[in-house]
Amino acid sequence: MKTIQIAAESQTNSADEPSRASLPRLCIVSCGREPDSSGTMLLALMEKLPATMPCIVQIREKQLAAASLLSLSRRVKAMSNASQSLIVLNERIDIAAAAGLAGVHLPESGCPPDKLTPLRHKMLIGKSSHSLESALDADIRGADYLIFGPVFDTPSKRRYGSPQGLDKLEAVCHAVGIPVFAIGGVTTENAQRCLSAGAHGVAALSLFNDNATVSGILYNLEQVLYR
Amino acid sequence: MIPDHPFLCFITDEIRYPVEQARHALGGGAAMIQLRHKSASGEQLYRWSVEIRDICRKCNAIFMVNDRVDIAIASDADGVHLGQQDLPAAEARKLLGSSKILGVSVSSPQEAVNAENENADYVGFGHIFPTSSKEKYTVPTGPEAIGRIIQAVRIPVVAIGGINQENAHLPIAAGASGIAVIAAISRAEDPEAAAGKLVRLLELNRLR
Repeated sequence: MKTIQIAAESQTNSADEPSRASLPRLCIVSCGREPDSSGTMLLALMEKLPATMPCIVQIREKQLAAASLLSLSRRVKAMSNASQSLIVLNERIDIAAAAGLAGVHLPESGCPPDKLTPLRHKMLIGKSSHSLESALDADIRGADYLIFGPVFDTPSKRRYGSPQGLDKLEAVCHAVGIPVFAIGGVTTENAQRCLSAGAHGVAALSLFNDNATVSGILYNLEQVLYR
Repeated sequence: MIPDHPFLCFITDEIRYPVEQARHALGGGAAMIQLRHKSASGEQLYRWSVEIRDICRKCNAIFMVNDRVDIAIASDADGVHLGQQDLPAAEARKLLGSSKILGVSVSSPQEAVNAENENADYVGFGHIFPTSSKEKYTVPTGPEAIGRIIQAVRIPVVAIGGINQENAHLPIAAGASGIAVIAAISRAEDPEAAAGKLVRLLELNRLR
């Protein structure tokens, strides 16, 4: 019974591998300030996404209860149907599954990915990592991609100490066999240095806070990430 | 799987270590443990769940996880208990399958009927008495309100809210299938003895 299950798992994993390499190179993380399930801020941001650049859009609104997260997830998913973007929900694979999202993004201290197999089916599992150890652990436990950081200085993360830097990013990218997104202080100017360090792409949150500048930033990022 | 005689459900207290609390409650004879912790990380919840699940199995008790269907499935808990702000019961049921236990907190006969229609196995109803464990902005229902829930649904009704050794017989007399408590055990000087007294009270009322 156990053997059969493991065989089935590794089969799913190998079938998923091509999609890992073809993941979008930009991950947009929601601002965490949606007052309710209407998702006004996130939907306004998604309207600006160019059809030419698919993204991973991570819904990260920890202040909302599960019922609201489900409504919000369904709303965002309906909005994404036109584009190629992949919608993932932070932390809760159960809600992501109920909403039919593309995946879940687990915080570094989230439930171990390998324990979520019964709920996973074809969903992507991303994982945040702030160290080489946790990056390797996430890879072994079947995560599809990592978000590693903070790579650069960012005001929201200063209380956790100094940033990881490009060297640690490079070490993680070389150590794991899954795509790595750099996060933390990423800009259109330094995104190229993340790719040079071996990152598959970049992830950002506050970069997209100002609706007036979003389109320009997205355009510039597309030039760097898809050159 | 849900006991057919009045039973004690213990819900872990957010401000205490849940595994130790569960051990005490089970030592006193609780038939159901619900892990409820809103601020713990997913990894921490998973680890606590696995530990409490193992202790519950040894004691033939039911292990429920509050709100988190993901953690319940990951840790192979016996079921999930949902509030009205959590995943809709029908969605949780789809994820859990038919063999897991699904409980839903309700505060009216209509919510109880909805929960039953969405394949809940039991409803928790309250708060019956004034309670210190959670911020409540509504007045207590009183034990007499339990009858209206029992009339509305066929599934068991578990009474919750401010239940202690002095008043535990009232919800049972009103027809509740069980009682759920937090503080009456977690904040007692001797939690295991407090659980034991509640269980004996329930047994006494069963014999009547």
